[in-house]
Parts: sequence; C-alpha cells; structure tokens
Amino acid sequence: MNFTLYKREWKNNWILLLLFAAVLTMYACMIVSMFDPKMEDSLSIMSESMPEIFAAFGMADVGKTLLEFVTGYLYGMLLIAFPAVYIIILSNRLVARYVDNGSMAYILAVPSKRGRIIFTQAVFSISSLLVLLAYVAGVIIACSQFMFYGEMELAAFLKLNAGLFGLWIMLGGVCFLFSCIFNDTKWSAGLSTAFVVYSLLVQMVSQVGDKFENLKYITPLTMFQSDAFAAGNSEAWLGCIVMYIIGAVCYTAGIIVFTKRDLPI
Amino acid sequence: MGLIEINHITKDYGKGKGVFDLSFDVQEGEILGFLGPNGAGKTTTIRQLLGFIKPDVGSVSIFGKNCFLQAHEIQRELGYLPGEIAFMDSMSGIEFIRFVADMKGMNGLERAKELMERFELEPSGKIKKMSKGMKQKIGIVCAFMQNPRILILDEPTSGLDPLMQNRFVELVLEEKKKGKTILMSSHIFEEVERTCDRAAIIRQGRLVAVDGMDRLCQGRKKKIEITFADADMALKYGEVFKQAQVNGCRVSMNVGNDMDMAVKEAARYTVKDLNINTQSLEEFFMHFYSQNRED
Repeated sequence: MNFTLYKREWKNNWILLLLFAAVLTMYACMIVSMFDPKMEDSLSIMSESMPEIFAAFGMADVGKTLLEFVTGYLYGMLLIAFPAVYIIILSNRLVARYVDNGSMAYILAVPSKRGRIIFTQAVFSISSLLVLLAYVAGVIIACSQFMFYGEMELAAFLKLNAGLFGLWIMLGGVCFLFSCIFNDTKWSAGLSTAFVVYSLLVQMVSQVGDKFENLKYITPLTMFQSDAFAAGNSEAWLGCIVMYIIGAVCYTAGIIVFTKRDLPI
Repeated sequence: MGLIEINHITKDYGKGKGVFDLSFDVQEGEILGFLGPNGAGKTTTIRQLLGFIKPDVGSVSIFGKNCFLQAHEIQRELGYLPGEIAFMDSMSGIEFIRFVADMKGMNGLERAKELMERFELEPSGKIKKMSKGMKQKIGIVCAFMQNPRILILDEPTSGLDPLMQNRFVELVLEEKKKGKTILMSSHIFEEVERTCDRAAIIRQGRLVAVDGMDRLCQGRKKKIEITFADADMALKYGEVFKQAQVNGCRVSMNVGNDMDMAVKEAARYTVKDLNINTQSLEEFFMHFYSQNRED
C-alpha cells in the first residue's frame, strides 16, 4: 500500500464520487418519500398501468413494507446501474488511463514495487465503493427515519446492503481486471461497458415475462437476489458470497497481470 | 563492469520494430549519449532499463540488479525523464512536483526549488494549460531533484528553447562533475557533443557503434560556404579542393580533416562572407553508415 498514491487518488476522484453520490441521494430521497404506509402509493398505481416496464426494472410485485418498497424500487436497478457507471469510469481512471497517456511512468519510477502500486489502486477502488455504499445506505436510513419513523427493518436492510456490496465488488473486480490488462482505454472502457450493459440488459429482459425467464441464468446480476434479503431468506447469501469471491479473484488477477506484463510507457 | 549493463537484449515487436541483440554498458561517472533516428529502438531500450518491459532474450541490469525484478531497489537512486511528457491531469505544476517527491520518499524540496529557478519555471499553473517547454521543465525538475546517482534521460531538451537547452547542458556538466552516471538519448548532436564522453549509435534496433565522442566526431563534416570578392578568386580557390562547387563568387564544399587547409587557403583571397553549417544528426548518420559499410 502506497499512501501517497492513495491520498492522490482521493484528490483525483472525489468529484466523480460526489457526483454519483448526489444522483443517488436524489433517487433515494425520492423513492423513500413516495412510500405510503397505507398501501396506496402512487408508484404501485403507475406499476399497474405499465407492468412490463416496471417488471424490466425489477419493480414488479413490490411488497408493502418500507424495506420491500425500497428493495424493489432502489436495489433492483437504480443502485446497480448508477454505481456500475461509476465503477466503469473509476476503474479506467485508476490504471488503463495512466498507461494509455504515459503518466504511469511517473507512478512506477519510484522506490516502490509495481505490485504495491497496483494493490493501492485496487484498495482505492474498493474503499471508494465502500464509502459510496455507506453514504447511500445512510441517506436511505436517515430519510426513512425522518419521514416514517420506526418503519424500516434496520437489520434486514443492512444485510441487503452487504449483498449489494458483493455485486459492486464483482463489477469492480471485473472492470479493474480489464483496466489492468489493456494498454488502451478504448479497450478497457469498451469491454467494461459491454460487460455491464450485457448484464443489465439480459437481467431486464429476463424479468419481463415467463418466456425469457431462463435468461436469468446467463447474467451474473441474478446472484444478487434483493427480494430474498428483504424476506430474510438465507439462500440469498450463497449468491452474495459467490459475487464476493468473483470480485476478489478478479482484483487479484488484475494485480498479478499488471505486475508481470510489459507496459508501453 | 558498468553501472548500467545491457547484455545481448532482444525485444521483437515484429515488422523490424524493437531491439535486436543489443549490448553496451555505461561506466560509473560517465555520460553516454544514446543516438539514433526515430523508431530506432532508443525508447524500447530505456523502458527495459526502467523495468517497464522485459527483454525477450538477454538481460539488463543497473548496479548489478535485475531491471525488471528489482526495479524498486534501483529506483531509489535513479532519476528518469520520460521521452513522452505525460503527467496526471488536473494538477498544478508544483502539486505534481510535490507528488513525485512524496512518491520517491524525499524530504524537502530545496533542490527542486533551485532547479525551478534555474529553468525559470513558474509551476503554480495547471499542467493542462502549460506549453510543451514548461512541461519539459517540470520533467527535468522531477528527474534531477532527488539528486540520484544515475540519470536516464529520454530526449531531455525536446521542446526547450536554445537558452534553456544551454542551461540544461550546464546542469548535466555539473552533475558529471559530481560523479553522476548519465544515459541520455538525443536528437541534437550539439548537446551530445558538449556533454557526453561516449556515444552509442543505434539504427533499426541494432547497435551501429559505441565509441568515444572524439572518435565518432572524426568523420564528421561541416559544410562551408565562402563568398569571395570576385569570381576569379572563387575559381582559383575551387581548383585546390576537388569537392568544391563554384557558383559565381561563391564556393561551397564539405570539409572534414582538411579544415586547416581550407581556412589558410581562403586567407589568400578577399573573403566577403563565410558560412559554416554543421551537419545535422541525420546527415551525420547517413555519413556514418555509409562509412561503416565501406569498412
């Protein structure tokens, strides 16, 4: 771990993080405020008028408690898609962009092992995701307590977030790996984006109707079963653990590949 | 044994790109010029010295340490100026210099400040908005500020104006007095001629020559152009030198070892004007290669 570089990355990326935090704050507050304990919320009325579209975003059959409501409307799509964009941008900024524009020469021409430098970038990637998650979860809890005091089932909500973090770590690991492999941001950003768009699209299609239901087996996002967390279902953890493992393997692979390969800088 | 050792390295990028069976060394306290046309493999060689790429065959070492596996140990005493100037975005010049100093584990920026004054660098602006010359100065400050034992400089004066090129040459000569070892690639013959003890010449990835500067310069020619008072003088002067081209009052010719004779002979007539053009590095290469082929 190189603390000089770690601090530098915070300075380089805090605005990006702030931007996504702000967007997610808006959505989180909006969704929570739409919850209606009397079960006549405007969203479910909308949902009945266009069920396919709501189903695609994982917002069909949203339950009646605040936890189920938040899970359905936020953790099905919004808290996956927006952070995924953040992950794509950040991963490229952390490695591939420095290699592409040559400034990696300055980062590596220091008395620090290459492995330590790239490990620092991985740690930064994970810790910035953790900050984002803690912040968003905090906002949701604060909004819930403020507007519907005592309605949120906190323990289950925290478990749900642990699951979501597994998904983020998986996406982060895959994008980080791409960033470590390619010299050209065109390729690393391109493949990261393709991976994320593919995963999201297939998941959306698989949720629309029974006809395409089996498609859920070919998107990694299926491993995050947000409803199961809300229901306190223990099998939710299995997929979640697999996602953490995939993420860890990808981050490690990225570090190893980067440490051993030739760099055109 | 040299402080920098390059042993029969080959790095093949296909299509004749890369370096092939390249060997030379740099002795402690020596300045070695590394010359060659664009795409000859200078940067490929330097990247291997910095540990950014591994040779396919052969080995590179600095202080007897493997350049790829022990890069971090070598870096403690190495200053590097990359050929392509690329810094991290959105930083100001001084922020970047501080960042590099911290990354290198330096305490204090005394030496950096001294260098900034010397190169008249005002580093408070954003790097993004700086001119090429300004960026190059930042690169130079970053390479020299840690007072390293070895300096590897890839095209150090590109983008600098002649005044700053001069200051750079002075800086290199001072470092040499302090006993530093320097490997410097360059396009500009004058700076190599003024600073280096030896030069390695490379073309198409292969070593053409490594030799002392004085020996390499021996074969170097200058083109002189003399304008005489009248055409008659020019004609008479032209008869003495078989390579001379006479055009009215003007005589132009390439002069090598016969400089003394060329000057003394011209002194017999009325000289109205005299121009001396030094061969460019490219011309020198052409000359050098053709000479080598004759051998």
